[in-house]
Amino acid sequence: MTALLDIKGLTIDIARDTGPARVVDGIDLVVNEGESLGIVGESGCGKSLTMLSLVGLLPNRIKATGGTAQFGGADLLKMSPRELRKLRGAEIGFIFQDPMTSLNPVMRIGDQIAEALIYQTGMAKPAALTRAGELLELVGIPSPRDRLMSYPHELSGGMRQRVMIAIGLAGSPRLLIADEPTTALDVTIQAQIVDLVRELKDRLNMAVVWITHDLALIAGLADRIAVLYAGTVVEDAPVSTIFEKPSHPYTRGLLGSLPTLTDQPMSRLPSIGGTPPEPGRRPPGCPFAPRCALAIAACSAAVPRLTAVPGSDPRHRVACIVTTGQSEAAA
Amino acid sequence: MSSVTTQIEDERPSSLWRDAWKRLRRNKLALTGLGVIAVLVIFAAFGPWLTPYDFLSQNLDARNLAPSLSHPFGTDDLGRDVASRVIYGARTAFLVAVLVTAIALAIGVLLGAIAGFYGGTFDKVLMWVTDMTMSVPQLLLVVVINASLKQPITLWMEARYLATMNPIWRNGAIIDFALVFGSMAIISWPPYARLVRAQVLSIRNRPYVTAARALGLTNRLILMRYVLPNAMGALIVAVSAGLGTAMVLESAFSFLGVGVNPPTPSWGNMISDGLRVWTNYPHLLVAPAAVLAVVTVAFNFLGDGLNDALNPKGQK
Repeated sequence: MTALLDIKGLTIDIARDTGPARVVDGIDLVVNEGESLGIVGESGCGKSLTMLSLVGLLPNRIKATGGTAQFGGADLLKMSPRELRKLRGAEIGFIFQDPMTSLNPVMRIGDQIAEALIYQTGMAKPAALTRAGELLELVGIPSPRDRLMSYPHELSGGMRQRVMIAIGLAGSPRLLIADEPTTALDVTIQAQIVDLVRELKDRLNMAVVWITHDLALIAGLADRIAVLYAGTVVEDAPVSTIFEKPSHPYTRGLLGSLPTLTDQPMSRLPSIGGTPPEPGRRPPGCPFAPRCALAIAACSAAVPRLTAVPGSDPRHRVACIVTTGQSEAAA
Repeated sequence: MSSVTTQIEDERPSSLWRDAWKRLRRNKLALTGLGVIAVLVIFAAFGPWLTPYDFLSQNLDARNLAPSLSHPFGTDDLGRDVASRVIYGARTAFLVAVLVTAIALAIGVLLGAIAGFYGGTFDKVLMWVTDMTMSVPQLLLVVVINASLKQPITLWMEARYLATMNPIWRNGAIIDFALVFGSMAIISWPPYARLVRAQVLSIRNRPYVTAARALGLTNRLILMRYVLPNAMGALIVAVSAGLGTAMVLESAFSFLGVGVNPPTPSWGNMISDGLRVWTNYPHLLVAPAAVLAVVTVAFNFLGDGLNDALNPKGQK
């Protein structure tokens, strides 16, 4: 497997009046060609910012300040805004969180999809509209030709997310970044959208990065999962390994807080005590140490690096000195 | 057959504008306003074919006549038919209102959109300029512009006339209109610029604009196709109110003698003339004043109705 996207040591800072606050602190992440990677973490852990930084879509005042991101032989973080703009849509497609507000309300569906095609491929308008119809068919919208003439408010949330996916696919990207695309949808529709993306990924042979905080949802979709905490990757492993042999205490905590069918009725779900550190106020050493039941003194001494987990899948890496036995080696 | 056609018609997708029109149609006041404006537009456009008398032709045997069947609004001190002059006044009022609003809108939308979308120094400077313009009383500004520019322009035009002997350079109405349009556009564009800027500021961070960016569309395309069309609703309401305001302003300036000058009929200079003799010939004051009032109210009703129709969720 060759790496399509290789992020190394990415840091992102928010410019504040009191000075920069670090929100993403040295993320290492690889996305292989045709692979689907799930990025899991709670709100504010830097999942979305990491992906937005790749294509130059970070909000004002937030900047990628270090690291590299190799994509197709070039460093995305060194590209000019113009080069990044050409890349967006054509090489890297996006699906956003809220389909209700992510479509232009005053433009017909067909025109919105066609616009992407005309702009990216130089297609003529009639050809682009025909292709837009095919894309709508591809994402499973009934009577796609009629829907081309519809306005966004005439479609349901699930339908709109399908349209968003069609737009995301318009430029035949090699990498599709889905930023919590099912959060705003009903559970049944969520499953449909997950199935659709999985099917499209295989059919179009593209890589998918799926950002979510829903571990259960990602289980059915991702080949590999990266768990983020406070702007760093704490665990990175194939999906079955994450669920069967979670190694980082944070991952274990996340999995432990999932409801299961065998739970005692009315019993409280376990949760992780404390809150994640605020940007700019991260503790020294391991950012999870203050909330961690397994923490020892050495945890606060140095930031743990991602290392292979002994006796597990070779791709399983975790940033914890306790569960990988490094603390004993050091002692 | 016809029922089938109707059905197909009904199944056409309802657009934002179609929905807005549906809501507007339910608003009686707004429809009345629209009707009044439509009648006036027809008079303004086809005035010369509709008026029984020429607005300039004097009949000194029929001076200051009270309203009658042959002169519905009576005649003025030179024996001119007041009804014809009011209708021609509609032409002046609409011409000024539409042109001034068009100029102000063009400047305001362009500058406001650029300032709101790109921000930065340009935005700051533009806000200073609009603040400064809006802080000076409108009437004062127009009087100053007219007073300081009228003479130099008149002299320059006279020089052109002497050089070319082309009678167009002796047409005083051109100077009047140019100065009226120019000075009114100068005081009218800042509110449009601010409105557009505010709209663009709020729209440019909406998710569909981010989605358009993620598609790699250029800034210009995003501004033209995603941001400005979504600001149209607010802009249409502002234009409807602005047209009414521009008419009142034109009348006010003509009333003060800094706008359109006689013999070109304007409601403002007719009111001014009527005011001098209103104790003896009240119809000379009432006719233009009543029409001006009705039109102003009509524009306000329409603007209100449009506001409700285009912002159905707006707090009211």
